[in-house]
Amino acid sequence: MNSWNRRPALGAALAGALALGALAGCSSSSNGNSSSVSGNSGAATLVVYSSQGYDSAVTKAFSKATGIPVSLDDDSTGPLLAKVGAERNNPQWGLLWVDGDTAFAELDKEGQLLDYNPGVALTAAGTKLVPADHSYSPVSTTAVPALVYNAARVSAVPTSWQDLLGAQYKGKVGMNDPSQSGPTFPLIAGLMNELGGESGGVAAGEKFLTELKANGLQVHPTNGDTLHALETGQIDYGLIQSSAAAGEVATAKKSANYDPKVVYLGTTTLLPGVIGIDKGASAKVQQEAEKFVQYVLSPAGQAVMQHGDPTGDSLYWPIVPGIDPVTAIGAMPTAYQRIDPTYWGPQETAVNTWFDQNIK
Amino acid sequence: MSTITLPAAARARAAAGWLRATPFALFWLLIAAILLVPIALFLAVAVSPRLFQQGPQWFTLSSFQAAFQDQMLQGIADTLMIGAVTAVASAVIGFAVAWVVQRTNVFGRRLWSGSMFALLLVPSYLIALGWERLLEPMGVLDLLHVPDSFARSLLFGPVGVMAVLTVKGIPFAYLAISAGLRGLGEEFEAAVRVHGGGRRAVTRTVAALLAPAIWSSLAIVFAESISDFGVASTLANDAHFPVATFELYNAVDNFPVQFPVAAAVGWILLAMAGLALYAQHRALRGRSYRVLGGRTRPARRRELSASGRIGAFSGMSLLLLLCLGVPTFGAISASLMQGLGTLEGGSGFSLDNYRRALTSPALYQPLQYSALLATITATVTVLLGLVVARLLTSKRGQTSARMLDLLLLAAVALPGIVFAAGYIFTYNLPQVNDLGIHLYETTTLLTLAYIATALPPASRVLFGSVGQVQESLREAARVHGSTAPGSWLRVMLPLLARPLLAAWSLTFGGTLLELPVSQLLYPPSDPTVSVGIENALSKYDYSGGTAMEVLAVLAALAVIGLVWGIFQLVAPAGWRRLGRTL
Repeated sequence: MNSWNRRPALGAALAGALALGALAGCSSSSNGNSSSVSGNSGAATLVVYSSQGYDSAVTKAFSKATGIPVSLDDDSTGPLLAKVGAERNNPQWGLLWVDGDTAFAELDKEGQLLDYNPGVALTAAGTKLVPADHSYSPVSTTAVPALVYNAARVSAVPTSWQDLLGAQYKGKVGMNDPSQSGPTFPLIAGLMNELGGESGGVAAGEKFLTELKANGLQVHPTNGDTLHALETGQIDYGLIQSSAAAGEVATAKKSANYDPKVVYLGTTTLLPGVIGIDKGASAKVQQEAEKFVQYVLSPAGQAVMQHGDPTGDSLYWPIVPGIDPVTAIGAMPTAYQRIDPTYWGPQETAVNTWFDQNIK
Repeated sequence: MSTITLPAAARARAAAGWLRATPFALFWLLIAAILLVPIALFLAVAVSPRLFQQGPQWFTLSSFQAAFQDQMLQGIADTLMIGAVTAVASAVIGFAVAWVVQRTNVFGRRLWSGSMFALLLVPSYLIALGWERLLEPMGVLDLLHVPDSFARSLLFGPVGVMAVLTVKGIPFAYLAISAGLRGLGEEFEAAVRVHGGGRRAVTRTVAALLAPAIWSSLAIVFAESISDFGVASTLANDAHFPVATFELYNAVDNFPVQFPVAAAVGWILLAMAGLALYAQHRALRGRSYRVLGGRTRPARRRELSASGRIGAFSGMSLLLLLCLGVPTFGAISASLMQGLGTLEGGSGFSLDNYRRALTSPALYQPLQYSALLATITATVTVLLGLVVARLLTSKRGQTSARMLDLLLLAAVALPGIVFAAGYIFTYNLPQVNDLGIHLYETTTLLTLAYIATALPPASRVLFGSVGQVQESLREAARVHGSTAPGSWLRVMLPLLARPLLAAWSLTFGGTLLELPVSQLLYPPSDPTVSVGIENALSKYDYSGGTAMEVLAVLAALAVIGLVWGIFQLVAPAGWRRLGRTL
């Protein structure tokens, strides 16, 4: 009796497997991976993983200009990088576009990025951001930190990191948690680089952050939370990303109690918007991805970026000569640095853990 | 003669065997495809990172070493405590609410039961946000000069973490326990009273008879709480209250992503869920809870005195104010009242954010897409959940039932983001693609993952009710000539219609706003509504994002209301009456 029961079950399982296979086959046509080919034009669909606020506008404009179909996966940086990590043995993305170059340095080390030099002239800041092996392409830049402060409540304006240790700033300064806020690790790495350099490592930066904590530093999860703390008067100074600070100044309702303004402390760290191309993608997709980089660096592409997310990511400084930043972002700070992502990138987990245990 | 007929009879028997076995084989195949394989492959990364190019080693235990650094032991202890406290608190409150709503004549019974569904749909983000808006320094209570420093210190600490998770657990407990309570007639209570038992004895007896439903709610809330990611990364993180999932959070949120460490933490969470299941098994072993039979009579409502009604009404109002009122306030402050509680100065009531959200393609297209997926998921999940509940409550196949239960609880105990990563590992394997299976980044895989995520709570909700139905009812129908499907439709469906609808509503609401699985598995260019909301929030559009969230919750409530309305209008009177109190 048992044998009769088992055989049908086994057979039925096989039948089920075939059914699942058929279901999978039905789904294959909708799988927008980087090698799928679109019907009429013969162009492959370019799969773009991006966290930029203007990416939808840019990918549409790119498709319209070139006829190349784009499939966009628009998400926050964290989930996108988790997805890229999970896909490591079979990447589905053709092009990755997020803020910060430390993740790209790691992907390059793992051999996942295609070297590509778009051959476009860049500003001095832009040139500084280009890696020697052209494994990724910076296409814009923001900076960390911008110090946003409530000018309606305070008159003291710091000009350096050391100023923040003064008595007049006690309990009034806030920043983000690097475990939860993408731009905050580059901010801390920039601080450590400025104070200790690569030769000095993290020690000087850790000492400064410890002193800042002793002076009442408040840590909030992300840019939005730090800005909310500023709006509610929990803090008077917030260390955040320049685009978020400029967005706050542009959109906040000013009153007798609230008047946000922005300054930059000493040497600011550049946080580039970066594009990388999948080395394992088909030649066709790689060609299309290169065209995408060219488009983004063209005046037409930059114009779409500057209008696609007016109070958010569009508030960046162009690194292509001849293109002015949008008015709301103001002039780029003159004293800036680029941190070496191959040195600071691998320190992220250790630095964030230290921050979690000692500063928060 | 015999040489001709015997093979034919054998063929007929074989065909009948195939027909009988196929549905179960398909069921187990589906369970393997959506639960067993993705979970097993994800957990395998902890010991063999090389399998998915997550490290150089084919076999290592180093990820467990990395997971057990620094505060991990404290984190495990905290997590166990959180799970136990929230499970018990949710069960006690859920039981009390179910009792008051179903067994007393308290005012506004439909409002209270409806609000449990509303509570189910409120994202923990809004619950935390509402409390933070009230209690933060320079928050609304500060501006009103209400002393709140003690409450603030409680919120940003273990108490706050457990309170938020308990609020999220109450509807699960309510649904599981109220389903069981409906099937429990009054005869057992009457028997206790006849034998001189007091109120306490009645409560004890009812609680004992509802043990499957109570344990079911304890297990599900425990597993949901220990795997919670949102509260771990916000309130617990801000409060320096280490929990196990925070280590996991650090492993997947920092780059390079350390999936082997996340998988090691997954093993730990799984072990904790196993403990809950073991406790449930020990408590229910060898007992029968089949109380719903042909002689079951609906229970009568207890007539409360005037002061009793006022007291019960006040208690329910207070509970709802704390659970739903505060998050509603959070949503209002964030989406309707610009500048509320800030130095910008309140600029008054404005519907701008709602106008923006309603006219934005970022809301309505994803909302339609998510609603479609939620409908499919809820329907399939309820059918599967029924099979699961039958298997779990059946006296046959104890080993397979226990394995299935462990698998379902494992799916709950693993946070959504790592569960989704298991799907990527499985369905993005080149070898799987070589077999012609290309499911990754398709709507099909997202739906299968939704079903896998929704199946444990749905089957837990059904477990209590299915466990009560006596087999003799179906057997009687079969004796009177009914076919197997016919006896299901005529006997079981009327008895289970309301719990099935409750499970459908739970799944629909939960799926519509599901985030972690959607984030990793949504097909490019087809974002779900939760991804759209998350994108708005991550780009500092808090007002727009919260308005979208409120609209999505309202849409979910409207669909659920519509479905229950149709049930009231269309379902036969007997279906509606069954499981109700007089």
